[in-house]
Amino acid sequence: MTLTFPRIAAALAAVLCVFLVWQRWGSADERAVRSRLTALAGDLNRPGGEGLAAVSRAADIGGYFTDDVVVDLGEGTSPIVGRSTLVGMAARLERRTSDANVRFDDVGVTFGRGPGLADVSLTASFARAADASGQASIDAREFVLEMTQASGQWRIARASAIDTLR
Amino acid sequence: MRILVLAVLSVVLFGWVLLPVRTDGISMLPAYQSGRLTLVNRLAYWRRGPARGDVVAIRLAGPNVVYVKRIVALPGERLRIDDGLVYIDGRPLSEPYVRSRAAWNVPEVSLTADEYYAIGDNRGMRAGDHDFGRVSTNRILGSLIF
Repeated sequence: MTLTFPRIAAALAAVLCVFLVWQRWGSADERAVRSRLTALAGDLNRPGGEGLAAVSRAADIGGYFTDDVVVDLGEGTSPIVGRSTLVGMAARLERRTSDANVRFDDVGVTFGRGPGLADVSLTASFARAADASGQASIDAREFVLEMTQASGQWRIARASAIDTLR
Repeated sequence: MRILVLAVLSVVLFGWVLLPVRTDGISMLPAYQSGRLTLVNRLAYWRRGPARGDVVAIRLAGPNVVYVKRIVALPGERLRIDDGLVYIDGRPLSEPYVRSRAAWNVPEVSLTADEYYAIGDNRGMRAGDHDFGRVSTNRILGSLIF
């Protein structure tokens, strides 16, 4: 059988489409984890407001973490332990971070450790709008997350920052 | 059919071979202004490793967000920075691409066989505001082609 160039191109296109669809969709658990992280980014970017609105937002954000979550921001910082501590810190930082936009890129999800457990790697980007000097800025940091599933919800049990350049 | 072939070629070319990158930030000034568009050649280090002076893209969790830095030290070398001057194996490194230097100081580090040392060209900024350091070979995606 001789394949002509257009047929090879069509076959390549088909393989590429299948690969892209497979890469995009993944398993149901993977979709659930990804969708949870997308929702977290959305809630982090939602304006906090004041009073009840701020409390509601903090509670929503807390819902993405387990009670005993540990957040390790790397060398020179102490780990943040517990959901209430984390939410309290987030609320205190609200004023300074309200103009920042958070997004998660390059989200990779694996399920090697057992049922209801997921390991996630991602790059978190924090983009700030231009300040008074007209200077916009973006800061990116790589994280690995350990997520657990309980009552049908995926929550972050541990988040560790990775030093890409050491 | 031509459109299909072009689409496939474009996806392959710009998805895996020549990665489009928009620089953001001031750490590579003056060579790369913030907002500049460029391409990363992911095949650049297919047959050889990065050379000193190469401007490379370094991946974080994946290829969509990368650091753009210059390689200043190669695997197995010792590097230190005294008052902003980079020393490789005890000898000062000539860096014509650096226009201003703050008094950065980094104690001597020895690179393993799998590590490079990467820094941005803008040494006039505070060292604490500048991401630089040792990087594993497997994080280097390729070199910037312009």
